[in-house]
Amino acid sequence: MGPIVANIASPFRSVESAIALHYAAHDVAPATEFADFHVAVDPVGGLRRWIRPQAFFRFDANPPFNPLAAGQAFPLLEWGLNWCVSAHCHQYLIVHAAVIERGGRALILPAPPGSGKSTLCAALVARGWRLLSDELAMIDAHTREIVPLPRPISLKNASISVMSGFWPEGPMSPVVHDTLKGSVAHVRPPASSVERASERAAPGWIVLPVFRAGESPTLTRLPRSAGFMRLVESAFSYSVLGRLGFDILADVVAASGCHEFTYGGQLDEAVRMFDALAGDR
Amino acid sequence: MRPGRTSLMDSWRAVAPHALVWRQWDDDVVLYNDATGSTHQLGPLGGEVMLCLLRHPAGIDVAALARDMNAIIEIPDELQLAAEIQRALDDLVELQLAERFSA
Repeated sequence: MGPIVANIASPFRSVESAIALHYAAHDVAPATEFADFHVAVDPVGGLRRWIRPQAFFRFDANPPFNPLAAGQAFPLLEWGLNWCVSAHCHQYLIVHAAVIERGGRALILPAPPGSGKSTLCAALVARGWRLLSDELAMIDAHTREIVPLPRPISLKNASISVMSGFWPEGPMSPVVHDTLKGSVAHVRPPASSVERASERAAPGWIVLPVFRAGESPTLTRLPRSAGFMRLVESAFSYSVLGRLGFDILADVVAASGCHEFTYGGQLDEAVRMFDALAGDR
Repeated sequence: MRPGRTSLMDSWRAVAPHALVWRQWDDDVVLYNDATGSTHQLGPLGGEVMLCLLRHPAGIDVAALARDMNAIIEIPDELQLAAEIQRALDDLVELQLAERFSA
């Protein structure tokens, strides 16, 4: 997946079938090849094999998190992989953000949960924008380019049915209920995005999405300082990189237009506005 | 820094200027302090005061700051500008970016 090689093991059929669905277009490395991460999703032993079975995520054989219900095995793998990348890949500055691309320029959507980031990301990908990542904007420390990491788009709660209607042909996994984040489903990344995973993108726009039910979509220009501070708040490895982290984010902001996008679910109108934004430059 | 109220005669300087990196966009300044690991967003006045302190590493008093900044920010009432600068300096002290000292 992008520049990362993960060695994944799991006896769960749900994990196997979800990987077959969502990673069908990804390269499969030989088992002997170097892997950045060795991970597994395994069943919890003892009584838990029979009563309310659970799964835990292993990283280098150690479980860094508490186990979850076995039905959440694939979301657990996805969350675990996000953690592997964000906690260890310090050759990049990593921001919690969706990133998509049009015309060689990246649209970065840093946002806290509930802001409609993934819904907006999926809607734009459904209408032809290239998916770089739904969760992790990886910024090359030397070139300031965004490095693609195209993986499944994670949808939650109401956005699952919204996206089923908006993108009926988008391959979606079965809905997993009662997770820590509510109901969760994943949408397969388009094969065209996976095939172009080695094509980086220059920073283009930083847009802070704000979901407010029923509100008309509005795109408002923001001061660059506000866009910068949002990136700082959303960055995983900013404090690890120190002054270099500041320089990287400052260069990304200097090269980008900064906006706030308030919307209430009108995805067709949202796509039209972002297409117009991409055409503006 | 000594405690107590500030006055126009006090001298001010940046704390650990070698540890500070900054960018200015439009009217705002964002600044990273490598000594504390903190990042700050400064508004127009606070940003200009901070940059002025960095331009005067040996220190500067409020009256001189006001003269320096009059060329950048047009405020007709000089006393009001001095009071605003004083307030901005107090904020910068809170952020561990500036300090008062005896010349």
